[in-house]
Parts: sequence; C-alpha cells; structure tokens
Amino acid sequence: MDVLQEINWGIIAPFIVIQGILMIVALIDWFRTKETNGSRWLWLFVIIFLNTIGPIFYFVIGRRQR
Amino acid sequence: MQWMSLFEKELLENWRNFKWIWVPLVLVLLSIMDPISTYFMPQIIESVGGLPEGAVFEMPTPTANEAIMMSIAQLSSLGVLVIVLMSMGVIANERKSGVLELLLVKPVRHVNYITAKWTALLLLVWIGLFVGMLGSWYYVNLLFGELSFVAMLQVVFFYGLWLTLVVTLSIFFNTLFKSPGLVAFMTITTIMAMSLITKIFGTYLTWSPNNLASHIHELLLIHEVTRDLAITSLITVVISLVLLIASVYTFKTKEMAN
Repeated sequence: MDVLQEINWGIIAPFIVIQGILMIVALIDWFRTKETNGSRWLWLFVIIFLNTIGPIFYFVIGRRQR
Repeated sequence: MQWMSLFEKELLENWRNFKWIWVPLVLVLLSIMDPISTYFMPQIIESVGGLPEGAVFEMPTPTANEAIMMSIAQLSSLGVLVIVLMSMGVIANERKSGVLELLLVKPVRHVNYITAKWTALLLLVWIGLFVGMLGSWYYVNLLFGELSFVAMLQVVFFYGLWLTLVVTLSIFFNTLFKSPGLVAFMTITTIMAMSLITKIFGTYLTWSPNNLASHIHELLLIHEVTRDLAITSLITVVISLVLLIASVYTFKTKEMAN
C-alpha cells in the first residue's frame, strides 16, 4: 500500500472528480432515454466499466438523436 | 430577431443533450492529462519496474512552455476528434429526422439557420477550450514553473482560431451530406490531407493553418506576436469565413434540390 500513500492526491483528485461527473451525467441520460443505438443494457456496462472513455463513447455514438 | 430565437434553440438543445457538460469536461481531461502524466513519469516507471539493475534513466523535465504545448498537442489530435464527432450530426441529423423540413416550412432564412448553428457550436468549443487550458495552466504552474495568465489567454485565442476552422469544416460537410458518419469522415480526411500537404510543402506553406500550433510555441518563447503568427491567423479566419459562406450557399441549393 506504499504506492497509494506516495501519490499526491491533491493532484489526482480533479481527474477522479471529472470522471465521476462524466459517468453520472451519462447515467442520468441513460435512465431518461428509452432507446439507444444498440443494446441499452450494453451501454450501461460501457458507461460504468470503461473508465473515462465509456461515458464519452456513450455521448458520441450511443445517444440516439431523437 | 429570428437569428436570436434560432440561436437560443441551439443553446437549449445543447443543454438537453448534455453537450454543455461533457464537451468542456472532456477537453479539460485531455488538456491536463499530458502535463500530469509527464510529471509522474519517473514514479510510474519506478513502480512498474522492469528496468535492469543500475540502469539510469534521465528524463529532462519539460519547461512550462513545453508542458502547455503538450496540452495543445493532445487537443490537436484527440480534441479535434471529439469536436468532429460531437458536431457531425448538427444539421445532418435534423435533416434525417425531418426537423429541418418542419423548420424550413416557416420563413426561416438559410443564413440565419446556418450561422446560428455555427455560433452555438463555436461558443461551446471556445468555452471548452478556455476551461481546458485553464486547467492545464493551473497544473503547469503547479508542477513545471511560471507561466503568465496572459500567455495562457494568448494561447487560447490563437488556438481557438484553429478549432474555429475545424468547426466550420464540419458545418460545411454537414450541409453537403446527409449521413453524420460521412460528415465526420470527410472532415477528418480533409484535416489530415491539409496536414499532409503542409508537411510536404512545409517550406512554402509557413502560413498554413496547420502551422498555427508551432507559431503559438514561438509566441510563448519570445513573448511577442510574430508576423508569421499574425498572417497565419488571418488566413485561418479567412478560410473559415469562406467555408461558412460556402456552407450557406450549398445549404440553400441542396435544400431546394430536395
């Protein structure tokens, strides 16, 4: 656990916060939409488990434009 | 005042599909990624290990200027990709879903429609760029050394011109093609072709928009706007305007053809 303590969390924290916000916003949108491009449940996995890239992918290709 | 209502509609739509949240956030992530990972590189190599015993690994610490140029480099590749993918459907999708027809039944002027979309996208991209560079500037000052706020603003201003050109290209192809995928493909191909031509004929094309980033680096080094930078910016603006006018024109003719 040495490594974890050495990291300067003040520098890393914004990263985690931004990733968190992206994921939450993507999830909110996921809950509100009925249809996505491709399987809706697959997108849930992508949003939650693919860090950072998952939510971005969802916004760029997963959302169905009306 | 028709323009204002179209513009407000765009802003509202960008709120509803969360672009106002995710585009700036992604640009911030991209901008701060490289300075931070470069700073931690020695620790990362150490903890990953794998270096032979006694190997000395000297890594020059980048200067503040170099660090902020890393952010620009990241925005030039992945940032541009995100912007293109985000804007590929702004008109093409409306055309596909029939919203466009509903809208153009009313006496909406084509110029207003295109420029309202263009301005809304630009506002989004510029604010995203500003927020991203603000993050990068913060980390550069924290980790690498002094970089004045004014210098950061200059970087945002000149680099924003390049992103303006990217957005305008995307709008232009939006008026040409119906499929968002094709729009993205054509925009990226054009940007790649431009950079290829700039590389091959580099000696003649100092003022190519693709060279904007390297001129910005000069600006950071000598603290004054060089003639090259001024002319390149001017050319970038002119190309953007020509593309915008061309978009309005093709949109008019295309729409009548349908």
